[in-house]
Amino acid sequence: MGGLFFIPMVGLLGILIALYRRNPQRFLNGPTEDAPLRLMRWAVGLLSPQRAEWGQAMLGELDHIDGRTRRLRFALGCVGAALVLPPWGRAAAGVWAMIALAAGAVGLYGGLAVHYRLGGGDWIAAGILTVFVIGVLLGASALVRRPGVAIPGLLGGLFIALVFLSLSGFTFLDQVLPDIVPWHPPVEVIVVPFLVGAAGTLWSRNPVVGRRIARLAAVTAGLGLFVYATIAVAAIGGGGPFDEDGGGTLRGTISDRLANNMVDLAVTTLVVATIGWGGAAAAGRFLRRTPPPTVSGPISPSPEPQQEA
Amino acid sequence: MQRNRPPSPQTINVLRALAADPAQWRYGYDLATEVHLKSGSLYPILVRLADRGLLDTSWEPGLDSRPPRHLYRLSPTGREFVAALTAGRVDRRVPHPHNRWSEA
Repeated sequence: MGGLFFIPMVGLLGILIALYRRNPQRFLNGPTEDAPLRLMRWAVGLLSPQRAEWGQAMLGELDHIDGRTRRLRFALGCVGAALVLPPWGRAAAGVWAMIALAAGAVGLYGGLAVHYRLGGGDWIAAGILTVFVIGVLLGASALVRRPGVAIPGLLGGLFIALVFLSLSGFTFLDQVLPDIVPWHPPVEVIVVPFLVGAAGTLWSRNPVVGRRIARLAAVTAGLGLFVYATIAVAAIGGGGPFDEDGGGTLRGTISDRLANNMVDLAVTTLVVATIGWGGAAAAGRFLRRTPPPTVSGPISPSPEPQQEA
Repeated sequence: MQRNRPPSPQTINVLRALAADPAQWRYGYDLATEVHLKSGSLYPILVRLADRGLLDTSWEPGLDSRPPRHLYRLSPTGREFVAALTAGRVDRRVPHPHNRWSEA
């Protein structure tokens, strides 16, 4: 399992190298625009195409506001507006699905903490979980509004979660007391996320969309697996041998199992997102190297236009 | 389907600020400052008002490579709406018994 913690480090290093190679001057000198303007540009990107004019209105207004604090407050407000402004379309269904998953995860965790009268440390962990989940939800709500991301991202996440469950076992006991086979983790967190990211790029024929699909898939899979594993703890409780890490007591065992789920949530989400990002980027490179099909020589007598696969 | 909810107090404040000088074009940040609203509340209100045809919008061209600035003012429908709103408020104050008796 220790090797899994090494993977995000390598992934982050890869991302830093990619950013440097993209624009060395900007990487070394830092961004040329101030933080509020960068934040605002990001927020404007969240808006649906029908609201693009309002995004330009916010950007134009920010340009006339002086003072870093005032600019930052204005930009933060616009981020909030961009997140909630309709129309949402099908993205709303995706966001509601994510909210249901997240609320289920946090609610179940809190319910177990109350039921087993867990200590203060577990409530602190619940607080950290809530903050993490809210952050993940904000990120996901931004992703699902981008065109062509919601459905493939959610399906990709479902696929990753199913592979995880197929390899680890679908039963609650398999979740609580996993029997880890050495070749399973590399397949779960490297091969499959990489393929999902690459498939996202190849399907959309756009590496940017592919990377978004990979990130949304990671969030979906992470949250879904976390909910399932927490349900398993609720169903089994202290069943099976008490965990030594939990001090061999019922409360300690429950606390330890919940904590394991939390670590899995964070590691799975971050690792899968990083590897999926890499897969999408690699597929983008492959796409760039592959020249688009061109018509050469005499024009085909067939009157039917060629359709893109 | 568009819901026909009564405007929120914040929306009414924005409408009143715009109605103070209906012919004048206003900037978003100035409006936000005047009615003490954060940008996160102001822009959704402006979008809703524009969607309902209560607001006219325009662009002020940017000078020296600055981006253009969005301007807002009440549309004729918006002016009628504010007038009706104000009348409604007055009507709500009317049911005082002294007023009714004085009318009688």
